[in-house]
Amino acid sequence: MEPIYLDYAATTPVRREVREAMARIDADRFGNPSSVHRWGREGRAALEDARARLAKLLGASPVEIIFTRGGTEADNLAILGRARASRHQSVVCSAIEHRAVLASARAAEAEGHPLHILPVDDDGVVEVAALDAFLDPKPAVVSVMWVNNEVGTVQPVPELADRCRAAGVVFHTDAIQAFGKFPVRVDEVPVDLLSISAHKIGGPKGVGALFVRRGVELSPLIYGGSHEHGMRAGTEDVAGAVGFALAAELWLRDQADQTRRLGELRDRLEAGLLARIPDLVVNGAGATRASNILSISLPGVNSETLLVTLDLEGLAVSSGSACSSGAVTPSHVLTEMGIPDEVAGPSVRLSLGRETTTEEIDRVLNTLPPLVERMRALASIEAD
Amino acid sequence: MEKRTVLVAMSGGVDSSVAAALLVEQGHRVIGATMKTFCYSETDGRSQTCCGLEGIMDARRVADRVGVPHYVFDVEKDFTRDVIDDFVAEYANGRTPNPCVRCNGNTKFRDLLKRGAMLGCDAIATGHYARMGRNEQGEPLLMRGVDHDKDQAYFLWSLPAELLPQLMFPLGELTKPEVRERARALGLATADKPESQEICFVPTGNYVDVLEKRLTAEHPALAPGKLVTASGDVVGEHAGYARYTVGQRKGLGGGHGQRLYVLGARPSRREVVVGTREELHRADIEIGEINWLGAPPAAGDLVQIQIRHRAAPADATVVRLDSDRLDLTFHRPQRAVAPGQSAVIFRDQVVLGGGRIGNRE
Repeated sequence: MEPIYLDYAATTPVRREVREAMARIDADRFGNPSSVHRWGREGRAALEDARARLAKLLGASPVEIIFTRGGTEADNLAILGRARASRHQSVVCSAIEHRAVLASARAAEAEGHPLHILPVDDDGVVEVAALDAFLDPKPAVVSVMWVNNEVGTVQPVPELADRCRAAGVVFHTDAIQAFGKFPVRVDEVPVDLLSISAHKIGGPKGVGALFVRRGVELSPLIYGGSHEHGMRAGTEDVAGAVGFALAAELWLRDQADQTRRLGELRDRLEAGLLARIPDLVVNGAGATRASNILSISLPGVNSETLLVTLDLEGLAVSSGSACSSGAVTPSHVLTEMGIPDEVAGPSVRLSLGRETTTEEIDRVLNTLPPLVERMRALASIEAD
Repeated sequence: MEKRTVLVAMSGGVDSSVAAALLVEQGHRVIGATMKTFCYSETDGRSQTCCGLEGIMDARRVADRVGVPHYVFDVEKDFTRDVIDDFVAEYANGRTPNPCVRCNGNTKFRDLLKRGAMLGCDAIATGHYARMGRNEQGEPLLMRGVDHDKDQAYFLWSLPAELLPQLMFPLGELTKPEVRERARALGLATADKPESQEICFVPTGNYVDVLEKRLTAEHPALAPGKLVTASGDVVGEHAGYARYTVGQRKGLGGGHGQRLYVLGARPSRREVVVGTREELHRADIEIGEINWLGAPPAAGDLVQIQIRHRAAPADATVVRLDSDRLDLTFHRPQRAVAPGQSAVIFRDQVVLGGGRIGNRE
């Protein structure tokens, strides 16, 4: 079968306009923004223009935007940067954070900052009331992602941010999967720190940003210069920043239409698969979910060969979080949602994107059900 | 040639790289897989760059080069239980294990077979220097590779016999220099990669490091005891019997008047038995836990027995045969026959089966 890419939550193709804009910067405005001369000034101007445009889209002021080498670094800077700026204050985060946050929080814990984990309900949504127990003494930071990357559940970020603001506690949200899916604005929701990433919205890989509300203290993680207001040393990736800003502008231009379109396609896919595959479980079905993500479990299928089989059949999806060696590890998100291993194991995330077509969704609906039937038959032979 | 869907195990070394490339050349539908066996834990804070991860990266590059999909199979849990734990337990019992044999028989091929079946494969291939042949009835036979220096049939005796019809060893007709030549011609990144160490989970090359990590310091296998002769005379001290292997000469101290060699261990008494070069040679051998891959020989038959990797198979006559036990007499006494080690039974080039050398005492 002609391969189908349904892994847009992992990454997206870089849009042509973005590639062209970046190539122009690299060729003509290659100057180091820290240099005093003309070339440096031109590079600086391009960088600051990108910063201002991105800030505008978020409802922030330019001085509040720090460019980073990706969303993971932004998360690390938010968590560890806050912890290190505090005196042994705690870190609070949800149980279903991306590893960029969870592992940073554990690293902070190892440095002497108590770690408190907010549980989620069976649909993968953080319970807002659970936060109150951890606000006194004041944590260094509370971090809850806006959209979960594995199941797509939308977290009650406005409510959590309100509570933190009322308690005078710094609140961070990893908005990497949320930005571009629905309005994400720091002038409407009182978050103090917010991570975003370019490659999820048609921008380049390795470019991210952290919004840092004015007045929030942060320790840098990378030393070596006063770049990015002293928060992130290293010669700036001007082309990356420009690509990010342009990708975000292009993306947000028709975001509402895309969200509606992808929501309809996702619903068509979900309903079709539920009707055609017995015992299929939709993870997080009871929660509000980002319109582009569908997480399903296929009990009875061998989890170790599920993704490989789908890939060999031309269906590009993902499961859990793959580690660097590529081995499949059980998803901590599904486990935290109380899903038993035999259901959580054989699960996949299908994520739709701008390039997804109705025809592709219908092909998945035709090919996946018989494939699941075949995999279940093989798994049951193997179990005998 | 019949076209098959082949799951090929790719370690990232030159051998399995060429094996995969040859299968592609032959027109098979090929799927590459690297078994993640141990050690590169990504969870415990401090990370360590290690052999295994590098192997995965190399295998990926090669798979991309020859145009086959490549996947990582995580077998760490099974591997630890079936291979590493067994390795440690065998040394603790004063025996000399063959972890590669154990892995091939218990972990690697079984897992490949299972996953291959799930993925619709009808053959399993590796880069071992071994060949598949057929007898007059057309049944598959496991045979030595043509490169006798590199032959790895020794490590394959433990494979489940029912697996034989699905096995492919693309390198069996090639010599190592030819394999490297092919790798260079194909532009494979692994063409000039050095030979891998013998045991993948002993990165330091010294197996005692693994024992020290996995056994307590007070474990009798690592604690001092007496060096004794076969007749029971105490001739010195040793630093822990698991630190010695049969045939070893180093670490026995001097002043014995003659060169001494390790003959074996008596774990219950914490003794290491030493003796002369002559005592190290044995004319008789008992092979237990036999796995037959071909027709078993009968008493009086001439067969060839290989008692360690790279040793030439030596002529021996079958004295007695039970279902999974064989007593034989070598035509010429063999040096350092180590209990626990694999012994492989050949009839000329054909692997009849293999087993483990029994305890002499």
